[in-house]
Amino acid sequence: MIDKKMGAENTIIGDTIIIRGNVQGDEDLTIKGRVEGSITLTRDLFIENSGIVKADVNVQNIFISGVLVGNVAASQLVEISADGRMVGNISAPRVVIIDGASYRGRIEMGEAAEGARPVMRPRPVSRPGMRPFPPRPAPAPAAPKPATPPGAPPAKPASGGEAKPSEKPSGPGGPLLKPPEAKGPGVKPPEGKPSEGKPPTPGGPSVTIKKEEPKKP
Amino acid sequence: MPEAGVIGKGIEIKGELRGEEDLIIEGRVEGTITLKKHLIVETTGVVVADVQTENITIKGQMNGNMAATDKVEFAANARVDGDVKSPRVVIEDGARFRGNVEMEVDLPPGIL
Amino acid sequence: MPGKTIIGKTIVIEGEIEGAEDLVVQGTIKGNIVLKENLLVEPSGLVEADVQTQNVDVGGELKGDITATNKVEIRKEGKMIGDIRAPRILIADGALFKGSVDMERR
Repeated sequence: MIDKKMGAENTIIGDTIIIRGNVQGDEDLTIKGRVEGSITLTRDLFIENSGIVKADVNVQNIFISGVLVGNVAASQLVEISADGRMVGNISAPRVVIIDGASYRGRIEMGEAAEGARPVMRPRPVSRPGMRPFPPRPAPAPAAPKPATPPGAPPAKPASGGEAKPSEKPSGPGGPLLKPPEAKGPGVKPPEGKPSEGKPPTPGGPSVTIKKEEPKKP
Repeated sequence: MPEAGVIGKGIEIKGELRGEEDLIIEGRVEGTITLKKHLIVETTGVVVADVQTENITIKGQMNGNMAATDKVEFAANARVDGDVKSPRVVIEDGARFRGNVEMEVDLPPGIL
Repeated sequence: MPGKTIIGKTIVIEGEIEGAEDLVVQGTIKGNIVLKENLLVEPSGLVEADVQTQNVDVGGELKGDITATNKVEIRKEGKMIGDIRAPRILIADGALFKGSVDMERR
């Protein structure tokens, strides 16, 4: 059972309820039913095991134990529990994925570290005998449309503003990870399909890692 | 338990690394890493490489794509930039990460 | 008997809601509500929606048409603008109501 703040107001959407539209509020929201559209809270969202959310979400904290399809911008924490399943991009300063969770999407926690020197991304090298994993069948019945939560722009966190927009293009994946076929119709990173018209930046995206400790000779 | 290779703190390697045993990186590796077992990048480790192995545990810095047949785990001190493809992914609170994650997600029919 | 859903005071929902449980509205709902059970609009609640359900209890504000299979009650704190179609209707003294009423039994 997820810990809820004592005394905090908490709306619970029961498991027989289906909401199609926008939900906003200044209190915690627990979803046991189904919500399609967008969710914007100044507090926390709890998606219980029975909850199915197809929406862009903009909240303080989010705890996913059910299904979420959509992009999440959280000002504090995104946590996907062992029962949680999510497809979509995450923009948050803290992200926790518990062993057993399923997730597909892009995670942006901001810069990897402050004040570090940029590092060149390894260039794709073609090596015989080294191949990506065999293509997997699309994980869900593929609707031929890009998976866009109804009425909500997939690219940005809903009603952007306070949340960090995940504007960084998906970095050029090395050959190991770029699946040979298009990925399943999961929610794509903001710019659309990763392989479309995005030249791999030879210098690598401005990646920063912590300055390493000086080596003593 | 098989021996683990250790790349010590003061070591810097550029090139292709391959192996059949566990590998612990405390120093710096640039290039590519292909293993059959467990790769552990310690808190002092800096890896700028694509990695393909069974199991990956990052406690230090990782800049590159990770493909695992079992699990990829970012510990609290991890600083990771790269894409992850693995059946299991674990991210601990405190880890810093930017990249794509691809796991198989079982969704209810008709949701997409 | 399923549980009930309580839409809290700070919540605003714009869209359609459907369900097979009671719905208690302390916040705001704009759109459309279709329930198999009961709708209860509390004094802080504002519903701007057409409603289709079994029973409706209006203690807050409701703008929209109600079709209820059993009963519609507007309490003395309640305020309703819209048409009501229900076999049983109770409008308390002090309630505000503007609209038409159709109690024809089907």
